[in-house]
Amino acid sequence: MIPLSWYLLLSAALFSIGVYGLLTRRNTIAILLSVEIMANAVNLNLVAFSHHLADLGGQVFTLFTISLTVAEVVVGLAIVVLLYRSQNNIQADQADTLRW
Amino acid sequence: MLIHYALVSLFAPVLGFLLLAISPSLRRQGLFAGAVSCLFAILSLVAALGMFWGLDPGGAAAIATVDWLPHDGQPMAQLGLQVDGISASMAVVVALVATCVQVYSLGYMAHEPRPAIGRYFAWQSLFLFAMLSLVLAPNMLQAFLGWELVGLCSYLLIGFYYQKPSAAKAAVKAFWVTKFADMGLLMGVVLMRLKLGSFSWEGLQPGPWIAIVALFIFIGVMGKSAQFPLHVWLPDAMEGPTPVSALLHAATMVAAGVFLVVRAWPLFELSGWMLTVMCWVGGITAFTAACMALVQDDIKKVLAYSTCSQLGYMVAGLGAGSMMAGYFHLTTHAFFKALLFLGAGAAIHAVHSNSIHDMGGLWKHMRGTALLFIIGTLALVGIPVFSGFFSKDLILEALQHGHMWGPLVLCFVSVGLTAFYMGRVIFIAFFGEPAKAGGHYDTPTVMLLPMVVLAFLAAVGGFGGSHLAEMYGVEYHFHLAALGIGGMVLGVGGLTLAWARYSSGMLGEQAFAFLVPLGDLIRSGPIDKLYDTGWRKGLLVVAGTAGWIDRYIVDGLINLVGVGVLGAAERARKLQTGRVPDYVFAVVLGFVLLAAVSALAGGAP
Repeated sequence: MIPLSWYLLLSAALFSIGVYGLLTRRNTIAILLSVEIMANAVNLNLVAFSHHLADLGGQVFTLFTISLTVAEVVVGLAIVVLLYRSQNNIQADQADTLRW
Repeated sequence: MLIHYALVSLFAPVLGFLLLAISPSLRRQGLFAGAVSCLFAILSLVAALGMFWGLDPGGAAAIATVDWLPHDGQPMAQLGLQVDGISASMAVVVALVATCVQVYSLGYMAHEPRPAIGRYFAWQSLFLFAMLSLVLAPNMLQAFLGWELVGLCSYLLIGFYYQKPSAAKAAVKAFWVTKFADMGLLMGVVLMRLKLGSFSWEGLQPGPWIAIVALFIFIGVMGKSAQFPLHVWLPDAMEGPTPVSALLHAATMVAAGVFLVVRAWPLFELSGWMLTVMCWVGGITAFTAACMALVQDDIKKVLAYSTCSQLGYMVAGLGAGSMMAGYFHLTTHAFFKALLFLGAGAAIHAVHSNSIHDMGGLWKHMRGTALLFIIGTLALVGIPVFSGFFSKDLILEALQHGHMWGPLVLCFVSVGLTAFYMGRVIFIAFFGEPAKAGGHYDTPTVMLLPMVVLAFLAAVGGFGGSHLAEMYGVEYHFHLAALGIGGMVLGVGGLTLAWARYSSGMLGEQAFAFLVPLGDLIRSGPIDKLYDTGWRKGLLVVAGTAGWIDRYIVDGLINLVGVGVLGAAERARKLQTGRVPDYVFAVVLGFVLLAAVSALAGGAP
C-alpha cells in the first residue's frame, strides 16, 4: 500500500513543474500544457484523498474536473489559433497589444 | 359692505388682466381689448367711489383678513383688505387716474399694432390691481407684495417699446435702481417683524428700533418715489408711452413711496430723527430736481424732473411731521401731473416729437389741449384757487411749523423754479415759433374727455382738503399766511420771468449767460456719471477680483487635485503591460503571498 504522502509529494512536484512551465514558457501551447499539468496535479490529489478517505465523491469530482479542463483547453486552443491568424506567431510575450 | 366694495374694486382689474392674458384672440382685437380693460377699470372706479362715499368719516377702519404663513401654530401674517380714510381716498385717486389714462390710451395708442395694444392694456389692468393691492393692504408684508408688483408693471410698461434699445435699457435701469432700494424696504419689513413683533403698523411701542425700521423702509421709499440721489431712473422711465408716464411715473406708482409713509404713519410718527432725515432728503430732492427741470428740452423730461421735485415736497412735508401735508399734495399732484402728462401726450401725438422747440405755437392749432395744459400748469405752480396752491401752501406751512428751516428754504425757492420751468414749457411749446412744421393737430374726443375730468379736479380739488382731513381724522383749515402769499408771488414771478425770457423777447440770450456752465453741468447728468464711475466701475473691480480669486485660487485647488489624480493614473496604468506572462506572474506571486500570509498567521490553509 503506497502511503498518501507519496501521492501528495508527486502531486506537489507535478504542480510545481506546471507553475515553473507556466512562468518560463513563452510558447502559448507550452503554457496550455503547463496549465494541464497543474490541473492533473490537482486531479491526482483528489483521487488520492478519495481513496484514502474511502469517499467516491472525490473521484466523481475528478471526472468533472477533467471534462472542465477539456473545455478549457478547447477555448485555449481556439484562442491560440486566432492569435496565430492575427499575429502570425504564438509567442505569449509578443502578444502585448491589449494594454493601456 | 365696504369690504365688498373693496373686493370688487381690487379684483375687477385683475379679471380684466386675466381675460386679456389668457385669451390671445381677445388680446389681438386691439382697441376692443382696450375697451374691455377700460370697462373693468370703470367698474373698479365705481366700487372705489362706493367705498369712499360709504365710509364713515373718522370712523374705525373696516378690515377683513385671512391668516397666512403659519408659524409655530400662529399665523405670521394676514392677507386682506383694510378700508379706512387713507386707503379709500387713495384707491379713488388711483382708480380715477387709471380710468382716465386707460380711456385716453384708447386714442393715444390707436396707431400701435393690434397685439401691442392688447399687451399694453393687459399690463395697465395688472398695474391697477397691483396698485390697489398695495393701497388696500392691511399690513406691511402685503404692502410689500403690491409694491413689488407695481415695480414689475413699471418695468414692463417702460419697456413697452422693447424693440427700441433705449426703452429696454431704461426699463432695466428703473428695475435695478428701484430693486436696489427695495432691498432696503425688504430689510425694513423683516426687521419690523423681528424687532417690533409684527408686520402691522398699528399698536407700536416707542423704542430705538422704530427709527431703524423706518430708515430701512424709507430707503425703499427713496427708490420708488425717486428721491435724490436715487431719482436717476425716473427721467429715463419717460421712454414708456406717455399715458404710462402719466399713470405710473407721475400720479400713482411713484407716489406709492409717499403713500407707504402715510400708511405706516404710526410707525414714522414715532421715528424721531428719521423724520428730520426725511425732511432734508425731500427738500434737497425738491430743489435739485427743479434745477434739473430747468434745462430739459424734452417736454416729458421736464415733467419727470418736476414729478421728482413735487415728490420731494411731499416727503419734506411728511418729514416735517404733517401727514396731511404730504398726503394732500400727493392727491392734488396726482390730478394735475396726470393732466400735464396727458396734455404733453396730446402735443406729442400731434407733432410726433418730444422737443418743446419742435412743438412751438401749438396754441394756434390746439386751443383745447393748450388750455387744459395751462390749467395743469397753474395748479402745479400753485396759483391760488387751483388745487396745487392749497397743498403746496400746507407743506410750506408744515415745514415752518416743524422749524425745518433748511428744507423750508429749499422748497420755497423751488416754488419759483417750478414756475419758471413750467412757464418755459408753455411759452416755447404753446406760444413760440415751431422749429418743425406740420403735424395733425386734432385731438380725439376720447383723449380730451379724460383730460377735462382731470382738469376739473386739478382746478377745484384743493377745496376737498377739509373733507380729506376729516377722513384721515386730522385737523385742517386753510388760512392764508405770509408764506402762502410769498409762494404765490414767487410763482407769478417765475412765470413772468419765463414770459420775459422766452416769449416777449425782453430778456435775450445774455440774460442768463452766467448760468450756462451750470446748465451744461446738469445736462451732462452728473449723478448718472457718478454711478457709472463710482458705483458701476467699483463694482466691476470688486467683481473682477472675486472672479479672479474664484477662477485661479478656488478653481485652482480643485484642478490641482484633478491634475494629481491624472498624473498618478498615468503612472499606474503602465502596470497593464498587456503581456500574458506578466499577468500570470502576478497571479502566482499573489497566490504565494496569500499562502505565506495564511501560513504565518497560522490559520487553516
